[in-house]
Amino acid sequence: MDVDLEGPVSPPRDNGTIVFSAPWERRVFGIVLALCRDGQCAWEDFRQQLIAQIAADRDRPYWESWAAALEAVLSAGSAVSPVEIEERTGVLAARPHGHDHRDDEHGHGHGH
Amino acid sequence: MTAADPRAIRVEAVESLLAEKGLVDPAVVDTIIEHYETNVGPLNGAKVVARAWTDPAFRNRLLDNGTKAIAELGFGGPEGAMMVAIENTPDVHNVVVCTLCSCYPWPVLGLPPTWYKSSEYRSRMVAEPRKLLGEMGLEVPATKKVRVWDSSVEARYLVIPERPAGTEAMSADDLAGLVTRDSMIGVAVATVPGSD
Repeated sequence: MDVDLEGPVSPPRDNGTIVFSAPWERRVFGIVLALCRDGQCAWEDFRQQLIAQIAADRDRPYWESWAAALEAVLSAGSAVSPVEIEERTGVLAARPHGHDHRDDEHGHGHGH
Repeated sequence: MTAADPRAIRVEAVESLLAEKGLVDPAVVDTIIEHYETNVGPLNGAKVVARAWTDPAFRNRLLDNGTKAIAELGFGGPEGAMMVAIENTPDVHNVVVCTLCSCYPWPVLGLPPTWYKSSEYRSRMVAEPRKLLGEMGLEVPATKKVRVWDSSVEARYLVIPERPAGTEAMSADDLAGLVTRDSMIGVAVATVPGSD
């Protein structure tokens, strides 16, 4: 399998070893690639959104622009609306502290 | 540890909605992440370079049509990646940047390093490449021209570094070990055997 990530996709990789600074970055990277691979989203659409998001706020950390681009693509394609995301985020944020976080279940170690 | 990070919660919210709508399978997300973490990496590009060093006919095909030649080794993707190989010579040192965003030849170099997408790298590599290369540890002799290539969706560049002297007897497999990611971006040269 090879989703060709030509564009502004640029997660950090340190001499061959990928480095995400937080699990959510790793996750949001994988979500976009999964959507593109399955044809739910055109890579070029995402790429253009990412370029726009980076241009809109050059000081914003790269992965936040990436996440914003994902939301914009989903909203534009009517797949997931901003309202839905807001609501779900609110529900998840209200979970009791110590809730087993999804990212931890999928964790594959913490790099090095 | 990131449970309190609002960005993490938001990404989780997006994924859970996508999963419910049947648009994303979390297991597929796992597989893809693992793929990029373990299978795709600069070693692919290193194999391309080593082959070019040892097989003149391949080198010609690579310079002629990078995407096609790289596909011979099984690297590439369905989206028509326009890969262009550029060769360092005794007269010219090539270096790649993407001023627009951070275009990068993923299938052969894996995931780009953090600095590649920094605004400092993107702007300074165009404005003062020789100086920036020096700061990154590569002094390009004054007699050598530095050529900066700006990546785009139409062309993603792979630098073929110069083959180090004294490696004539080495196999392509061993040579690939000398080709670092940075040397294929053009911010370093290939490793000289025994130098570290």
